[in-house]
Amino acid sequence: MSLSRFLVKRSLQGLFVIWGVITVVFGLRFISPGDPANVLLPPDVDPEVRAEVIAELGLNEPLYVQYWDFISGIPLGDLGFSLVTRTPVAARVLAKLPATLELAIAATIVAIVIAIPLGVISATRRHQPADYGATVFSLVGISTPNFWLGVMLIIVLAVQFDLFPTSQRPIGVDGIVLLFVSGSLGEAVDGLTTWLWHITLPAITLGTYFTALITRLTRSGMLDQLGQTYVRASRAKGLPETLVRYKHALRNTLIPVITVIGLQLGTLIGGAVITEAVFAWPGLGTLIINSINARDWPVLQGSLIVVAVGFVLVNILVDALYAYVNPQVAYD
Amino acid sequence: MISERTLRNLRRELRRSLLAKIGIAVVVFILLMAVFAPFISPYSPGKQNLDEARLPPLGFSTAETKEVTKMENGSVVIEGGEVVTEERTVYTNATAAHPLGTDGNGRDILSRVIYGARTSILVGIFGTSLAALIGVLVGLTAGYYRGRVDDVLMRSADIMLAFPSLVLAIALVGVWGQAQAPIPDPFVVTGLAPAFRSALGFTTGMPDTVVLPGTVIVVVALVNWVWFARVARGEALSIREEEYVKAARALGASDGWTVLRHVLPNAITPILVLATIQVAAIILLESALSFLGFSGADVSWGFDIALGRQYQSTAWWISTIPGLAIVITVVGLNLVGDWLRDALDPGIEGEGGV
Repeated sequence: MSLSRFLVKRSLQGLFVIWGVITVVFGLRFISPGDPANVLLPPDVDPEVRAEVIAELGLNEPLYVQYWDFISGIPLGDLGFSLVTRTPVAARVLAKLPATLELAIAATIVAIVIAIPLGVISATRRHQPADYGATVFSLVGISTPNFWLGVMLIIVLAVQFDLFPTSQRPIGVDGIVLLFVSGSLGEAVDGLTTWLWHITLPAITLGTYFTALITRLTRSGMLDQLGQTYVRASRAKGLPETLVRYKHALRNTLIPVITVIGLQLGTLIGGAVITEAVFAWPGLGTLIINSINARDWPVLQGSLIVVAVGFVLVNILVDALYAYVNPQVAYD
Repeated sequence: MISERTLRNLRRELRRSLLAKIGIAVVVFILLMAVFAPFISPYSPGKQNLDEARLPPLGFSTAETKEVTKMENGSVVIEGGEVVTEERTVYTNATAAHPLGTDGNGRDILSRVIYGARTSILVGIFGTSLAALIGVLVGLTAGYYRGRVDDVLMRSADIMLAFPSLVLAIALVGVWGQAQAPIPDPFVVTGLAPAFRSALGFTTGMPDTVVLPGTVIVVVALVNWVWFARVARGEALSIREEEYVKAARALGASDGWTVLRHVLPNAITPILVLATIQVAAIILLESALSFLGFSGADVSWGFDIALGRQYQSTAWWISTIPGLAIVITVVGLNLVGDWLRDALDPGIEGEGGV
């Protein structure tokens, strides 16, 4: 199968999954006890007013009409209205998205920058102290709940040593860019410093699991590659060891590692939800938790759709990249 | 089902690996702690004593600056008609009565760690079993029948996978509420544990029920069955081509019989390995739900970490100790999972974590 046919097939599958996601999310409302009108109205409300509100929300329409209303707006970016604030859900989700993306990207960077060198060192110095250290780190790293790690970082680094703030996000990347554009370089640098200072602990909290996971993968991948015939052949023909390790073996190790990073983005977003709760980081996770506590179903549904659809799209992208980088894979 | 050869591999790998021994020891220890909680717990996990709130664990003491009434020669000092206060450092020492200290309400942390193990283990075991049941059923059906059945089942699995498991779990628990089923604690209602305790002079009044967090168990199974479905499907796809399966069908065995009698037993090894890792993942998921306050559990490691947050600047141990319990348990389970994987080499990847 050619790359383009593979992409078409993969995109069609993706579309099907996106439809499924939207349908599941639509169905969520029906498994919840009580109807949305209860969120808006006091329990002892006049039945007439109640009927009016239900009609206004479209809850007395036949199911297929409600389903169509729900699903048809989504391609146009219409995710409905919040029951609580009466504002469009899409706008609220979009407003929160940058904070979560910043956190997820920062965590991924932390993970990659630490994990890949650590995994390589661990594999090339097998059964030496560095290897044992890296192995223990990755075992504990994948076993530690990230919210607890966040609390520990706050207790030690923020409360005891006062090195970092305990929470909040006073400025985002968009704000920093704005400062740069408006030409006040000093303020922009200040903004960047503030941003870095605030995102450090959340990024470590969210990134540790991935650092551990990628260290493990890189280590086993490198060990696997270093045992291959082509590595022995390159050594035999006199290539310097650094070239053998970092050009050939590492490169072949990275392909599966990148795939796993892509596949783990869902876990990353899940982790971001709880990391945001620990650090009062105003992103999608905070929005999701607040919407559940306020029983604001449309906001919850909209956030779920954005998260899941984003995940599906990223996965298609990763698959395409994988197929492009490694033409050996049978496009299945 | 589990062959002699498999057992031999397990034993050989266990002899060779120190980590595997540590893992088994940890898991057995936590299991015993959970099962025998009403015998060994120093106090009831809910017993409050506000006079003994925030005692540090053994080996630590705290110094707190407090505003206290100034006393001279045993009487209150009054100047200008007002009671004079002074700042004084108040030291709180650990006591052997509460070796791991007490929480913000003066509840014994050791007792809460012991009883918290029950919540984690219950959700871990029941949640994993339910997930395995659903997933294996779906996976075997998909892999055995292939074709359209396979397409429909595995595409629905893809839909589940599109949701981050924690996010989906939060949403489901959020909309469903937090149904819990208190079941009688067999050791307490039979009088076994109370008799044991009074014979040894322990405090009595242990809770007589075990709270089974029903919704949480169902939800963690609903978000994690997919991993079992994938593994079971892969196994079924290859096993159905084996000669003995073809022979069974040629002899007229029904599909259900063939799958149960021939396919499932030969797929069991990778499913067991996955189940071990999944118990760890589900314990982490439960602790995350409890931390966010969505599980409804009132004795849970994750919930206790959240409770300790309001004392994070004065009493670090309240959040720290239950978290250590989680890390130790999950490390143990992951080590057991590594042992099984190395010994049985079923060729599956580990999955799980929050």
